[in-house]
Amino acid sequence: MTEPAALSSAAKQERLVDEEEEFLEAQPFDLLAVPVIGPLLRWRHSRTLLQIPLLAISIVMIFEGLLGPTLSPKNMATVLTWVHFRGALVVAILCAGNLFCLSCPFMLVRNFMRKWIHPRFAWPRRLRNKWIPIALFVAVLFSYELFGLWASPWLTAWVILGYFAAVLIVDGLFTHGTFCKYVCPIGQFNFVASTVSPLEVAVRDHEVCDGCATRDCIRGRREPSSPLVILQRGCELALFQPDKVGNMDCTFCLDCVHACPHDNVGILGRLPAGELMSDPHRSGIGRFSRRNDIAALALVFCFGALMNAFGMVSPVYTVENWLERTLHFQNQAGVLAILFTAVIVVEPVLLLGLAAWITRAWAGVKNSWLGVTVRYAYALSPLGFGMWLAHYGYHFFTGLYTIVPVTQNALAEIGWPILGQPQWTLVGLPKTVVEPIEFGFLLLGLAGSMLVAWRLAQDDSEKHPMRAFAPWGVLCVILFLCCAWLMTQPMDMRATMLAG
Amino acid sequence: MKKQTAAHNLSGRELDFGTLRTIWAYSRGRRRAASQCFRVMLMLAAAPSLAVTGCRKPADSAQDISINESIAPRPVHTGTEAISFQLTNAMHQPVTGAHIQVEGDMSHPGMAPMFADAVEVSPGVYKTPLNFNMGGDWVVLFHITLSDGRKLERQMNVKGVESN
Repeated sequence: MTEPAALSSAAKQERLVDEEEEFLEAQPFDLLAVPVIGPLLRWRHSRTLLQIPLLAISIVMIFEGLLGPTLSPKNMATVLTWVHFRGALVVAILCAGNLFCLSCPFMLVRNFMRKWIHPRFAWPRRLRNKWIPIALFVAVLFSYELFGLWASPWLTAWVILGYFAAVLIVDGLFTHGTFCKYVCPIGQFNFVASTVSPLEVAVRDHEVCDGCATRDCIRGRREPSSPLVILQRGCELALFQPDKVGNMDCTFCLDCVHACPHDNVGILGRLPAGELMSDPHRSGIGRFSRRNDIAALALVFCFGALMNAFGMVSPVYTVENWLERTLHFQNQAGVLAILFTAVIVVEPVLLLGLAAWITRAWAGVKNSWLGVTVRYAYALSPLGFGMWLAHYGYHFFTGLYTIVPVTQNALAEIGWPILGQPQWTLVGLPKTVVEPIEFGFLLLGLAGSMLVAWRLAQDDSEKHPMRAFAPWGVLCVILFLCCAWLMTQPMDMRATMLAG
Repeated sequence: MKKQTAAHNLSGRELDFGTLRTIWAYSRGRRRAASQCFRVMLMLAAAPSLAVTGCRKPADSAQDISINESIAPRPVHTGTEAISFQLTNAMHQPVTGAHIQVEGDMSHPGMAPMFADAVEVSPGVYKTPLNFNMGGDWVVLFHITLSDGRKLERQMNVKGVESN
């Protein structure tokens, strides 16, 4: 009997994955080794250099939002926030990694503040989880629909201002990267989304770390003569590089890169979503399977994508009207709260609960019902990200050039029309081009989720991996069909508060 | 015996305390420079914002002109709908001979605006078709140039355009 014939399909699959891992380990792509980009990122002030333009843009957006045109499509605050920023963020995460957190303008202001204000408190132990940011994330999605944030430059400006204020208050009181790790809803979105990124800040050679006694990557590089003086801070989010796995909680701040005295931390290539396929102990996080809060975050991320898109298509108004008639509800916030509860709480509990029950009963997985649910919840992250990509990518690509007339208009309004009169007909790529890209994103997400679920099922049930996988595979397909259906619905964007 | 304060640079060369102090002082100087640079950048960032605050165009000079607009049929559906409107002056007399461009914008940014030129169908009464190409809340802008050259802009909200 020849060797290939003796191999089962699972063994073949395993061998393929091993070969791929060996290849990646042998020749990992390192962004820091790329000419121009690498030296730039290694420069100690590289993050500041990236943050300054975003801070400048943020300040302009705040003023423009408060004092500029009241009509959303003509105001830089709304156009940049709801078209370009969101779209560029997800595209950057897909192509590279968590680049927004890297160039976060809020952190620049915070660092500036910390030159004078030194926080003294530690974040309460009970709050060291993701429940607060989950609540804030849902609150942002809810407010977005209720107040029609996209239609109001004034509210958009206040959201940005509120964010700056929250950063300064939280990180003015609490030490380390409290805001990023335990509060920031945008950060949590980026953390979950970047689990499918192709790049990761990681150790190049673990043997070098084995011989390291100073642990500068987490403690920070100290002045030799006075160890209390930190020359370069270490990871503020408590991620110890040698034990760090994946992108969860990593802001790509590159503090560890700059702090490592052995130049042993790089931005390395990896298999996208690979970190979701196994469950090792992760520095600063623990095991994913024991973190109900992060699993809930992944679910809110996935089902929030559906809800956010559902709020922008015609059927949502049919459902809202039906709810109003049936429940005799006149309060829009109440109707929206019911919808949110149904999509973000009831739907995942029912669907995942059923899938977990089938996995336990059919494949004989011995984990508890909650344990199985938590374990497989992460598998939905790629599909959720596909939906965010499809949604935000749609606005980004179809409105790509709108920043041009908006900038022209802003300059013309202040009596400095150096870019000419606004060309309002400049919009973006045609829908015929963008729609196939949207479905491509969704298919990528589906493939990622199926692959993660399959790998988890293989680990959970050696005898019946297909039985363990089947309910989750069906769930992924159902969610994919929901996403695809949403994408084919006519857009219908209503704001409760119209400008003007 | 080596001093306790001795350290090594990245190439492995030993650095004595004096050298480290020099490096530290140098780096402090650089940090100060970076801090100043940051302040300058902050001012540069704030400058356009202040300009935006101070140099906004004044409101239009034709406050005496009022517009009475209507759209039919209601509720408005996606597709081309007729918008008619009447321009009157402070004496409630029709304003004739104006050139009016009508612009339809979605409430969401990043969408293509729709444009149409209005035609005067009777003294002071203008009419134009406008393509509402998607459902949702729309804002219709009337860019008006009066026969005496004065320019003004008026706005009409069209809520809840329904998809077919």
